[in-house]
Amino acid sequence: MGQARPDAPALSPQSVAWRLGRRGARIAKGALGLVLFFVAWQVSVPLVGLEPYFYPSPIDVWHAFVDLLAKGILPVYLADSVGRYLAGVGLGTVIGVAAGLGIGLVRPLARMLSPLINFLFAIVEVAWIPIFVIWWGYGLTTILVALVYVVFFPLLYNTLLGVRTVPQVYVNAVRSLGASRLQVLTQVILPAALPNIIAGFRVGAGFAFRGLIFAEIVAAKSGIGYLIFEAAAHHQTARTIVGMIVMGLLWLFLDNFYLKPFERATVERWGQTTAAERRE
Amino acid sequence: MSGAVLRRSTLADRATGLVPFVAIILAWVIAPYLADYPSYVLPSIGQVAERTWTGLSDGSLLEHVLGSLYRLAIGFVVGNAIAIPLGIAIASNRHVADLLRPLLTFLQSIAGIAWVPLAIIWFGIGMGAVVFVIANTIFFSAIYNTVVGVESIPNILYRAVRSQGARGWQVFTELVLPGALVQIILGLRTSMAYGWRALVAGEMIAGTNGLGYMTVEAVQWYQTDTIIMGMIVIGLLWLILDRLLFVSLERATVARWGLIQR
Repeated sequence: MGQARPDAPALSPQSVAWRLGRRGARIAKGALGLVLFFVAWQVSVPLVGLEPYFYPSPIDVWHAFVDLLAKGILPVYLADSVGRYLAGVGLGTVIGVAAGLGIGLVRPLARMLSPLINFLFAIVEVAWIPIFVIWWGYGLTTILVALVYVVFFPLLYNTLLGVRTVPQVYVNAVRSLGASRLQVLTQVILPAALPNIIAGFRVGAGFAFRGLIFAEIVAAKSGIGYLIFEAAAHHQTARTIVGMIVMGLLWLFLDNFYLKPFERATVERWGQTTAAERRE
Repeated sequence: MSGAVLRRSTLADRATGLVPFVAIILAWVIAPYLADYPSYVLPSIGQVAERTWTGLSDGSLLEHVLGSLYRLAIGFVVGNAIAIPLGIAIASNRHVADLLRPLLTFLQSIAGIAWVPLAIIWFGIGMGAVVFVIANTIFFSAIYNTVVGVESIPNILYRAVRSQGARGWQVFTELVLPGALVQIILGLRTSMAYGWRALVAGEMIAGTNGLGYMTVEAVQWYQTDTIIMGMIVIGLLWLILDRLLFVSLERATVARWGLIQR
């Protein structure tokens, strides 16, 4: 499914211009779609005639946004959420990859631990939060442990898969050329497992973002998740929607400006592409 | 292909797979003798077993499980039943697709869990709010996958089908539907993974019964045995759902058609 379309136009200057024009038209249409959505929402408010706390208008949401900015609440909460997210994902990634490599390189160990890993992976992070709350109370530790947990398993799982699917012939070939064990790890196993590791990272980062919002709803006194929940509890629904929109934008920002470029840069650099090029 | 590398698990493999479980249970049994901690931090395995036995015999555990599965089923069916036809309709028309894609991407990026507070305002605590959150989560995941599925059909196939004389409805049944089906089926599993999380989380915040409600309610009374029982049940249920339902569905469809690489 990922292959290039066979009927894609050849790369001539005209076709590039055509593609750019087509892309511009797409973006313009997409923007129009968003505008239409907000207009329809605004128009529907007087038609529906519900209480503003039940069905706020986009203008109410805008006022709530300006208010939250002016009072300095939003920047602080946003910084808290981003900080927790980065710390949790960073820590979880390091531990997950390290564990995956450690377990994956020892085949009997991998075989032994797989069922346990599958089972722990199946207990979704959400289900751990109650016991984390008992152990560490409502606060940062609970949130961080939950995030590390969410990221850890997809990474462990995918790293294991990546390491275990490296054909033994490659390892033997490099060994027979005189590579040390460390060189086998850095020259063969890591590059071969990298696409899997990156895939696991994206899954983990996605689940972690949802996990963060939930953990903040349950166990935090600041952050975007807390804003969404606390505002709704006080019937400040416009603020809840501000929180939801900020959360969506934050995820799109992280995904498009960090995760996707990271994936592209690393997979292209160490992954199959370079290996194929070198062979030529 | 991968079967050669990840060899089939033999009986011996399965037996070794039990070793870590046995080790954990042993550690759990021995722990109270080694360290001094209140039993609410980590109840003994006997307490959890006893709690599970009470839950099973008075039927309360089954009631929570069935309640959760019932909500999940409704949310899953409703979400997919709206999302898949709508997704196909959107993707079949390029202008509509261009118009709606950014909006859908944006709405999909607002995680289902973030809808819970709003759902409580709209539907009140209980069944309605939880089902709304699950259906919502599954809807956005499924519609995204459906649109991607339809758009991944190469143009050349449309031309081929048309040049063979297919028109309108026939293009739909002969090309669009089978072409998008792989992505849709794979999407069912992903959307269920998100929906499952939304279920547990939704019940924790907005539920009046179900597994999520049961575990979060237990926190207030420091009934850690109930929490651990809930976690084990949540893990087992997901494994059963995922392995029995979706893996066999994939095996019967996508893998059999040779369209999946593992």
